[in-house]
Order: sequence, then C-alpha cells, then structure tokens
Amino acid sequence: MNARSSIGLLGLTCLVLGLVRADVFSLATAKKPKVEISFWNGFTGPDGRVMLEMIRDFNKENPDVEISMQRIAWALYYNKVMVSGLDGRGPELFVVHASALTRMHRAGIVADDDDIFQGPSGIPQSDFDPYVLEQTMFGGHHSAVPLDIHPQGMFCNSDMLKNVGIVNSDGTARVPVNRTEFIAAARGMMKLSTSLDAKFGFALTAWQNNFMSLLPQFDGHYLDANGRADLNNPGNVAALTFLGSLRNGMHLIPPPDNQMGWVGYRQQKVGMVFEGVYMLGDLLRLKDMHYVGAPIPTIGNHPGTLADSHCLCIRSGIDLKKREAAQRFIRFLSANSIRWAAAGQVPARRSVRALDAFKKMQVQSAFAKQIPFMKYPPRITTLFELGLEVQLAVEKVIRGTAQPKEALDIANTNAQRAMDRDAEQSAGSKR
Amino acid sequence: MNYHTRRRLTGFVFLAPYFLSFCCFLLLPILVAAGLAFMRFDLTAKNSIQLVGVQNFRELMKDSYFAQALLATCRYAILMVPSLIISAFAIALGLNSMSRGRDLMRALIYLPGMFTIAVTAILWQWFYNLEFGLFNFLLKHLGSAPVSWLSDKRLAMPSIVVMALWWTAGGASVVLLTALQQIPRMYIEAAALDGANAGQLFWRITLPLLRPVLFFVVVTNTIGAFQMFPQASLLTQGGPLLSTRGVVQYMYETAFNNYRLGYAASISWALTLVIVVFISAQFFAFRRIAD
Repeated sequence: MNARSSIGLLGLTCLVLGLVRADVFSLATAKKPKVEISFWNGFTGPDGRVMLEMIRDFNKENPDVEISMQRIAWALYYNKVMVSGLDGRGPELFVVHASALTRMHRAGIVADDDDIFQGPSGIPQSDFDPYVLEQTMFGGHHSAVPLDIHPQGMFCNSDMLKNVGIVNSDGTARVPVNRTEFIAAARGMMKLSTSLDAKFGFALTAWQNNFMSLLPQFDGHYLDANGRADLNNPGNVAALTFLGSLRNGMHLIPPPDNQMGWVGYRQQKVGMVFEGVYMLGDLLRLKDMHYVGAPIPTIGNHPGTLADSHCLCIRSGIDLKKREAAQRFIRFLSANSIRWAAAGQVPARRSVRALDAFKKMQVQSAFAKQIPFMKYPPRITTLFELGLEVQLAVEKVIRGTAQPKEALDIANTNAQRAMDRDAEQSAGSKR
Repeated sequence: MNYHTRRRLTGFVFLAPYFLSFCCFLLLPILVAAGLAFMRFDLTAKNSIQLVGVQNFRELMKDSYFAQALLATCRYAILMVPSLIISAFAIALGLNSMSRGRDLMRALIYLPGMFTIAVTAILWQWFYNLEFGLFNFLLKHLGSAPVSWLSDKRLAMPSIVVMALWWTAGGASVVLLTALQQIPRMYIEAAALDGANAGQLFWRITLPLLRPVLFFVVVTNTIGAFQMFPQASLLTQGGPLLSTRGVVQYMYETAFNNYRLGYAASISWALTLVIVVFISAQFFAFRRIAD
C-alpha cells in the first residue's frame, strides 16, 4: 500500500467513523424524549398567529418540551374543554376567561397553581394588580395566571371626527371624554350622511357588553352584598336608561339590526363604538382606515368599564414532568407578554405595561388607562344564564318594548331563579 | 349449512356494519338520553348525577323559554313545510313539462342545496342587512324605505323561511320530479282520451299516484323543520327577543352553555313527542285522503 492509498484509507475510515458517531449522537438526541404539552385556546384570529410565533420560539429555546397549539372558536371552545377535561382527556394547558374560571374550577378541571408564583424563577405576584389576581383565586389558592387584561374601550374613526371639525388645536381628532362631548360627537357625525348612505356617530356592538361597560360608571352591579341577583338596582337602571335614550330619545344610533355596529364601524359608516381591545387585530388589516383608541367616555358619575382576562390554566391530574413544562411555558408567555400585546391585548403584568414598547401602542395603552376603574363580570357559575337575561333586558329597551326598570325587574327574577336552582343543584353534588 | 341458513347469514353480514353503527351512534345515545331525562346532571358539579323522576318534565311545563322556543319551532314548521311542498311541486311540474334544458335547470335549482348552511346563512345575512344589504339596496333604488328583515319580530321568521326555501326547495323538487317521471304515460293518455281536462288530470291522476312520494317528502321535511337550528342560530342568533330561537337551539344552549344535560335530554324527548304527534296527524290525513 503506497502513501497515497494509506492517506485515502485513513480519510475514508475517519469519514465512516465520523458518520457513525454523528448518527449515534443524532440517535441519542432523537431518543431523548420530549415532554409534549397540548395547549388549547380560542385565538382563531390574528392573535393566534402571534401566539403561534411565541410557541415556536419557546420550542426552539426549550428542546426538551414540545408545545402544540389547538385553536377552537370560542363559541365551541368551552364545551370541548369542559367535556374533554371531565374525563381527563383534555389539554394539559388551556386558556380560560377569568369570567369562565368559576365553572371550570367547580368542575374540577383546573389545578391549583400556587407554586408558579414561588421561588426565584416564580412569577412575581406584585407585578399584577391585586384585583386582577383576585379573579383567578379560589379558597386562597391561585388557579391560573392572567396573561392579559382586555377592557372594553372606545374605538373612534379619526377621519370622521376630523370631517365634522372635532379636532384638537394640533389638528388631530379630539376624542370625546364625557357625556356632553360624546353626544355632541355622535350627533355631529350623523351630518356626514347622504340620501343613499347613512352615517352614524355611534352604534351598539355587543349589547350586553356595551351595557356592562357603563355599569361601573353608574355604580351599578350584578349581585348584591349577599351574592343575590340585583340587576334592577338604580345604577343599572340609570345605565340602561342612557343606552335606551340613544335610540329612542335622541335617535343617535342605528335601528337594532343584529348588532351590526362593528361591521358598520369597519365600513366607516359608524364613527364610534365601544368594543374590547381584542378587536384591534381586525382593524390592523384595514389599511385605509384611520382610528384611535380611547377610554370609554365618562357618561355616568365617574370613569369605569368592563374587563376580562385570558388566564393560563393547567389541567388537574397531569404528571409532574408535564406540570413543570407547562409552568415553564406559562412563565415564558407571561415574561414575553409585550409580544402578545401587539396582537391587541393589554398585558396583565405592570412591568410589561411600563415598557416604552407598550406605551407606543396607541390603542392598547389608551385602553390600559382604564385599569384602575375596570370591573370584571361576577364570579358565578350561572353567568351565561344571567348574561342572557341582561341581553334580553337591553334588547327590550333598545327596541322600545319595555322600560329599563321593568325589563331589569324581569331579568332579575329569572336570573335569581337560575341561581337558586344552581345553588340547590351544587348543594346536592358530592363535590 | 343449508342454502336458507347461508342466505339468512349473508343478509346479516351485509347488514352488520350499519347495524353496529346504528347501535353505537343512534340506539345507545337514545337510551342514554332516555335515562338522562329523568336525572339531574350538571357537568360543572361533578358527581351531581341524581335520579329526579319526572321533575325535569314538570319544570319543562312551567318553562316560559321552552314554550317560546316551541312556538317558534311550530311557526317555522307551519310556514316552512307547506311553502316547501307547494314550491317544490311547482318547480317539479315546471321541469316535467320542459322538453329542452330540463337537466340544466334541474342542476341549477338543486345548486343551493349543495352549499352548507353556514355559507347560505352568511350569504343571506348580507342580502337581508338593513343598512347595506342587497334587498334594501334594491328597495332604496325603487324609492322604498328599507325593511328590517331580521330585526323585526314579525318578519324575522318568514325571512328565515325564505332562506331555507331557497336552500332546500331544489332537493325536494328533484325527488318529486323523479316521481312525476315514473307515472306511466298511458294513465294520462287514457284519461285524456276519456275527455279529462288539465285540472282533472292533475287532481285525479297525478296527485293520487304521487301520494307515497309526497307523504315521504312531507314527513321528512316536517321532521327537518322541527329540528330547525342552524338556520336561525346563524341568521338571527335566535333573535329578535328570542322570537326565532327554536327548541333544538334551546336544547343545545341548555346542554352546552348551561351544562344541564338532564334537563336538555328532557327537552329532546318533549320535542320527539311533538314530532310524533305531527307525523301521526299527517299519516292519518294522508290515509283519509287515500280512502
């Protein structure tokens, strides 16, 4: 064997050994089991894409964990989580609105998650507003981590405001901040109508939410101090009277036609709407529309609005490895919630809201100003039935078929009946 | 194994796949629903299953929302079934008399039935929209005031029926057309030779011979009408003021929004009873006409 052949043989041997080694290593890596976490949520809009990007980054940073996301429309989502969760087939990690957490907790689907706030790598509790954190606690234990806050606020079409001369000294659109300015703006923008193209300064979107957004301003509430239905209290009546007067007294809003207010706003036929900050994702797709986000004007006695939160929950009964992986992912999402804010949300953590990047998000930061005044829906298991009663009461008043007090009296009786039935039923259960 | 046994077994083998799926996905759920109707079962209160006898049915009798939903369902069925039969029959007679282009017309008429109800509802939501819908756009150009098709309590249900007719009339007319084409020409020709006019031919020959198929179309569409759910749920969400919320939608909301499975099961049995009453009435009516 000459030198050339020897070098060739050596090279070939090295190559073979190298390949074998690489293969052995790759096999070793491949064999290392990943902890698979199934993560369900209802982020079917543009927010889902942002969440997907965050999951990809987490999976890249954490090769031992594989988060896979399943998005289901909210209308079906809770049914699926509930039914699958009850017999232990549900996802390890899932999103629940703070308002829906009571039912999930009573069903025993949600695990206590106190330890995620403990230790050096724990999420600092002090970084959350106590009122927000309270929404996720049952019997002194944390059941979830709030990812965001989504208050109801006001979206204004700045072009329409400018076109009727409602501007600041610097020429920017002037957003109404109180009842007088709000009514003047709503009335003013109606003047943009033509014979074939009606324009409105304001329109209702989701009636129940629109009503609930005004309740804190009028010192209204759903339940009394004893936890009984109190829908017909003077504050609620005052809020509903105002909402009804927009249609039946002042004729400022379009006829009630299937709550198409948001569609009208998108089509620039409506100047102002009350909606959740999450609708921003829908507007971001409209390139020719100029809008501005603002707190809901002070229509009542003081500022206030309705809010809710997407909360991250771990399913009860999962093994420790999965629990640790799910908690790691929750910490990642919480720490990086500035990225989530870009999807049209207000981060739940104060430190994230203090970032310059968040302050530059006009709509989100404007909506976030309402955090000190916001109210969450009541924490009851019959919230859907109560909501339906409220929705009917609002609808009757907007359609002019009942007076606010009369409509709320009926709603209150029906809501209390549902609550009594539920109390009797849960008392009979073994849980 | 003799021939008859083999033949009988072969029949069972052919039936087995359907029979198994029938037992698993139809019979078993029916039995479970029958049991649930006499129980209190709230998904959120684990281990809350309790036998409550006929309490669910007693509550149902006093439930004003159930009464409202039943009324809405009956209104839909009463508007929908006769309109469907008349329009499908008219279409079938028209197609039957065509000598050219019948296949193309039949395909076009059947086309809406190929859409899913979701697509159909989205399309008609736009047609009916008060501010920027097609119908009101046309009305405005004709100088008329816009109409609240879906938010006026008097118009909402008829508007749903019109959409459902557009969606389903094609299917029913194809069935009736096929039946019309099966009527032997000699009966018509013999009656015509005996001097029967067009009206007599229709009432004395065509209609009686179509009776079995007509009965089938009426019964299946009546059952379908009582099961009305996505039509209203997608177009009006059950509004205005729950005036178009049918029994099935109420049952769905009770089971999957309020998680009251026992009560929802009792609603389903009440609906079954109503359907049985209506179908029995139709059966006796058809038999009486036949006699």
